Amino acid sequence: MPQAEPVAAVPTDAALIAAWQGGDEQAAAELVRRHARALARFLSGAGALEADLDDLVQETFIRAFRAVGRFRGQCRFRTWLLTIGGNVLKDAARRAKRSRAVPLGEDVRATDGDPHERAVAGEAEGRLRQGLERLSRMQREVFLLRAQQGLDYEEIAAALETSPGAARVHYHHAVKRLKEYLS
Amino acid sequence: MNSHELPDAKLQELAQRLGVGAAERLDVERTAQAVVTRLRDAPPLTVTARLGIQPAWLKIAAAVLLLLGAGLVTRGLRHEPRMTSTLVGSVAEDLSDLTPPQLRETIASLDLPWGQESWPVDTGLEGLSADELRALLRALEG
Repeated sequence: MPQAEPVAAVPTDAALIAAWQGGDEQAAAELVRRHARALARFLSGAGALEADLDDLVQETFIRAFRAVGRFRGQCRFRTWLLTIGGNVLKDAARRAKRSRAVPLGEDVRATDGDPHERAVAGEAEGRLRQGLERLSRMQREVFLLRAQQGLDYEEIAAALETSPGAARVHYHHAVKRLKEYLS
Repeated sequence: MNSHELPDAKLQELAQRLGVGAAERLDVERTAQAVVTRLRDAPPLTVTARLGIQPAWLKIAAAVLLLLGAGLVTRGLRHEPRMTSTLVGSVAEDLSDLTPPQLRETIASLDLPWGQESWPVDTGLEGLSADELRALLRALEG
């Protein structure tokens, strides 16, 4: 009976970080592959234009890899990365100082499904983006980390250096304001 | 339509769809290679190289900043009660915008001595005693 090929264990983020710190460039590339899409979604939700997304994602990873010695595992690597992404986006907005056109919702550009349904869904997303712009940065980030990324309050609090109770208040406040705006 | 007609699940569903298309269109492999190339080509700059200044001047500037910082800290300590009350005021403002069910959920999550069980359904922030409000603010500020 032929022996089964041993399944290669998937390295953890911590192992990849340690490998990168030891000079392994491919470990850094693997961390990018693993987290780039979640980061792009977060940045897009936080107001980044799609045209700027690649640059913002790259800049976030560059900053993260250069500061990785300060990452103490207080939260997951991805969560830490998302908070750095928030800072990168804020710095970019400050530099650009340009008015941001609200992009069409993703579903408007998609080619599958019923065109009317896509248009309605795209409009709702556009309104949500506008609502998110009206929140404070803390409320917006707590809302996205919770509703979009599915993180719990303890994780959010550790990443944003606040208490879980305060994170919960920011979330409820964000939901209330978004509902008011969307209704 | 009132402000609470949009269900939480619908809002969450919208939030989860946000940016999905843009993220899918991102060329992750190209991004990964670009990040690796940038890390290789541009090692982290030292502060002195980045600002183009001599280390000796940097030491002098650091000493001046340290002195200024110490002065500010001394002044800040005198005003600490005002800063604290501002912080508490901001959290209290956030709390006052919560509906009674949201407030009840927040209180339940904080593991306070008076929990969700004893909390009347329609009571808002105004239903808290001074001691309860103080305990809630203390718990929220960690």
